[in-house]
Amino acid sequence: MGAYFIGAHELLGWVDGLRESTRIIGPVAKRQRFVFAELESAAQLRLDYDVTILPPKKVFFPPKQQILAFDSERVSDCIDPVPTVLLGVHFYDVKGLDMTDFLMRERYEDWNYLAQREATTIVASSVQSVAPRAFWGSIGAHVRPQGHDAMLTKVSEGYVLETRTPKGERLAGLERFRHATDDEVAGAERVNAAVMDQCSQLMPYDSKEIATKVRESFGNEELWDDLAMDCFSCGSCNIVCPTCYCFDVRDSWNVDQTSGQRTRYWDACLTREFAAVTMAGGQKENFREHHASRFRHRFMRKAAYLHDKLGGPACTGCGRCAAACTANIADPVRVINTIMGVTL
Amino acid sequence: MTKDEAGFDNIFLPREAKIIRTSRPTPSEKHFTLQLADRTSLDFVPGQILEVGVMGYGESPIGIASSPTRTDSFDIVVRTVGRVTTAINSRDVGDSLWIRGPLGHGFDMDELRGHDVLIVAGGIGLCPTRSLIQYILDRRDEFGRFTLFYGARDPLQLLFTEDRLEWRRSDAIDYHETVDRADATWTGNVGVIPTLFHKTAHISPDTRVVICGPPVMFKYVLIELDKLGIPRENIFVDLERRMKCGVGKCGHCQINDKYCCIDGPVFTFAKIWELEEAI
Repeated sequence: MGAYFIGAHELLGWVDGLRESTRIIGPVAKRQRFVFAELESAAQLRLDYDVTILPPKKVFFPPKQQILAFDSERVSDCIDPVPTVLLGVHFYDVKGLDMTDFLMRERYEDWNYLAQREATTIVASSVQSVAPRAFWGSIGAHVRPQGHDAMLTKVSEGYVLETRTPKGERLAGLERFRHATDDEVAGAERVNAAVMDQCSQLMPYDSKEIATKVRESFGNEELWDDLAMDCFSCGSCNIVCPTCYCFDVRDSWNVDQTSGQRTRYWDACLTREFAAVTMAGGQKENFREHHASRFRHRFMRKAAYLHDKLGGPACTGCGRCAAACTANIADPVRVINTIMGVTL
Repeated sequence: MTKDEAGFDNIFLPREAKIIRTSRPTPSEKHFTLQLADRTSLDFVPGQILEVGVMGYGESPIGIASSPTRTDSFDIVVRTVGRVTTAINSRDVGDSLWIRGPLGHGFDMDELRGHDVLIVAGGIGLCPTRSLIQYILDRRDEFGRFTLFYGARDPLQLLFTEDRLEWRRSDAIDYHETVDRADATWTGNVGVIPTLFHKTAHISPDTRVVICGPPVMFKYVLIELDKLGIPRENIFVDLERRMKCGVGKCGHCQINDKYCCIDGPVFTFAKIWELEEAI
């Protein structure tokens, strides 16, 4: 596909132009932090953000998503994708979407997710500012971001837009863009390579080594009790994670008491009742009763269980869990380095 | 998988099933015979589950309690334990339930065929195994010696009275039952299921064994099977977990890296042996 250049002063005009025909979701400021939200004007766009509170996964898999509607006669579904341009996604979040894309397609295709995914054009953007807890420079370096349609890189004087798919190509109208020179493309490449060095190397291990050692640590109860010691079972690490996709399903009624909806909500495997089953007499059988077993399960999934399937860790290094953790114990850098340093 | 109007396959869209017969084998359990509203037949293997729901309440994973070898209806038995199962059990003949499935990995019939089979069922664990029991009885020539151990907490909890009467009389099945606690009317075995192993001498080491029941039962049954020299790969365990979505997405039923709902609920004990979280 093509490579284009747009002047810094033209960028907002381009975004506002796109906004006339389609919904645009991009990073905007929310108090001191950033979130992905629908742009009301291009001026809200903050491509200089470090990390958003929630990953862009929420566009396809919202925290609360109606999956069925019912009345006394029938049950119908609610898949209703909205054509969208998702603008300004950092490469680590593109990798997160690659993983959820795979997991939502695997075995049973979940079109409640995939329909919106297919209706969306993703424009990735270069990282201009590194979040304090980010460690994407240290994890899954061999996994390349795939699922974006174009890549926007800030270079001096403007931006280079490299299109990766026909969907991305359609965004680059030549009234505002011109073809990029080879120097400009090389410059963009240098910018994206240089930013990797700004995120210091914190875990000097190969992800396969990590997967093996983490899996072998399963039976080391003392280790996991220690690692999970202050866990409040709040599930904050799950909620902010780009690769967590567990959910709960609940029904609710409309005021007429004959119609209603089935809705899925994000769920968190760290919470106490996540694996509990109600047995006879209302007793619960909780298959992960202890908080350390839930904490361990999350790391087993991210580092080991999903590793072979995804060809790398189910972690993008975004650092959101580390920043969100109430007890400041969820940081994968701390957990993985501890495990790697322990003789099992 | 069900296609919606827009043409998307929707893994959450249920099918309507009409209730054509019900009975109350115990105060807390209800036995339903169902038929799909579009009159198609349900294509399943013993051991598979259905997500059974009432709109407005939710869904619950329930093992199919009848064999695919029998008619175009199918059975489920639901125990009242929470909100959803209470709603299901308040439905009656003429009402509908909304089902998804069959889901999951059932019994590998080819692994059982040609061998002696022992089924060990505890409590409500008899329901999903009833599918297999009927299957074997309907194709009796394809299997060797067939033994069934069934245990319940007390005589009032025993399910499928008519079936048990038939099994007791039949030459096709060697049936043994026990209760943990007897009452005044009870003249049969008293004791937990593993005690039945001492009452029959006919379990050969080549037997294929199926276990379904409360988690606490597994350990003790497995000890008895080990004494008999039955290898782990010939033991099939039907597990229970919170199989909320039934399609390997929602995460609630995970056992290490496996999903109970799609990789199970039937696992070989050899597989489970590698999974620390299974038993």
